[in-house]
Amino acid sequence: MSLSAFAPVSGFAAMRRLLAAAALAGAAALAPAHAAPDPNAEPNDFVGQVAEQALQVLKQDPKLRSGDIARVNEVVDQYVLPYVDFERTTRLAAGRYWRQATPQQQQALAQAFRGTLVRTYSGALVNVDQSTSIRILPFRGEVGDDVVVRSQIVPRANAQPVNVDYRLAKTPEGWKIYDLNVEGIWLIQNYRNQFAQQINQNGIDGLIQALEQRNQ
Amino acid sequence: MKIPSIARALPALTLAAGLAGCAAPQGQPDPRDPWEGFNRSVYKFNDTVDRAFLRPVAELYTFATPAPARTCINNIFSNLGDLWSAANSFLQGRGHDFVNTIGRFLFNTTMGVGGCFDVASANGARRIRNDFGVTLGVWGVGPGPYLVLPILGSSTVRDGAALAVDFTGDPAAFSHLDNVRLRNSLWGLEFVDTRASLLDVSKTVDRTALDPYSFVRDAYLQRREAQIRGSKGQDELPNYEDDDAPEAQSPAKP
Repeated sequence: MSLSAFAPVSGFAAMRRLLAAAALAGAAALAPAHAAPDPNAEPNDFVGQVAEQALQVLKQDPKLRSGDIARVNEVVDQYVLPYVDFERTTRLAAGRYWRQATPQQQQALAQAFRGTLVRTYSGALVNVDQSTSIRILPFRGEVGDDVVVRSQIVPRANAQPVNVDYRLAKTPEGWKIYDLNVEGIWLIQNYRNQFAQQINQNGIDGLIQALEQRNQ
Repeated sequence: MKIPSIARALPALTLAAGLAGCAAPQGQPDPRDPWEGFNRSVYKFNDTVDRAFLRPVAELYTFATPAPARTCINNIFSNLGDLWSAANSFLQGRGHDFVNTIGRFLFNTTMGVGGCFDVASANGARRIRNDFGVTLGVWGVGPGPYLVLPILGSSTVRDGAALAVDFTGDPAAFSHLDNVRLRNSLWGLEFVDTRASLLDVSKTVDRTALDPYSFVRDAYLQRREAQIRGSKGQDELPNYEDDDAPEAQSPAKP
């Protein structure tokens, strides 16, 4: 804070300004922790809020420096996954096989795939340090029910930005992220063959089992 | 140097591995990967070499070299490579990318002290990587079957053939360097640097892939398609629902 810029006329006025500034700064520091991302905001704002919140939590975490993957998984589970429609992600990754599954299998499959999704999202966050930043790129096209939000993540100061896009769908509870693109590679697209392969070999239960095994 | 003898032994090794693993895949083969059995064996060979040798060396390098030195080395190689990227952007008729990449090369070479500091990225100019495989793709050459190359990994017939052009054209390949010892040292350093920069990628594959072979193949093919489409294709989104259409006509199962 540059107090000199205020050029206090009297001690009292300066004190009041200082107090006001301190209160503002305090509010600003507390605000991100309280304001949960708003799924009914514009898609760009919503994704920005989710990303900023996750970054903030990680940056304030003392365990961060040790690159504690379990801790990052926890953060993703708590601060990212609530805004991800992982059931939809799973359904689309399963493609036409989804309908062959019973409702119980569908639920078990989505739950089993959830762990993989957590690890995928945390892979992007495990190297976060104090200089990591995210920039949401201008929204292109029209806001329908299925939109893409583009971002660039700069993992460290002066490093190459990484292009990360998020695909969102409008749900009754507002926007939810359901697909992720890192440098041209879509997550769902990348799991379709692996899912089909497992289902062809071992059925839907085989796939659920394989995913659960990866979660251990 | 032992490299020539290893190079001679490699085709024999991979051939043997290929014959051994021809029956590997089950179910319907992916039309993009008709040589899956062979590819899987080369993948397995690569993975074994990687885990036993390449990855530990890259990890040791990352551990032993201070981060600024590593970044500098990586930047210098990347900066040299930018010249070849620029040439390919030119060949693809992507004038905007060409001018940007040349500009980034000049800026980094001068202000960035020979490319040691990536000042262009620090100023928000993204690196646009390009190679002759992408150029052929832009010219309309299809990828052909997916192909896993020994040590080098994921490729396609088109991209594999293009490597020969990249090798002679890319200044970062040092193919025109007459001093053999210097050239081999640079190759070694560049290889370790490249592997080290991919450590996070291989960790992600280890953590998230159900079948690492399919995961890497599909990621490679998606990435190459995205590179060929370039910025124009950014708005093209995968349509996941189209698979549902034929299924919808058949009687739905409970």
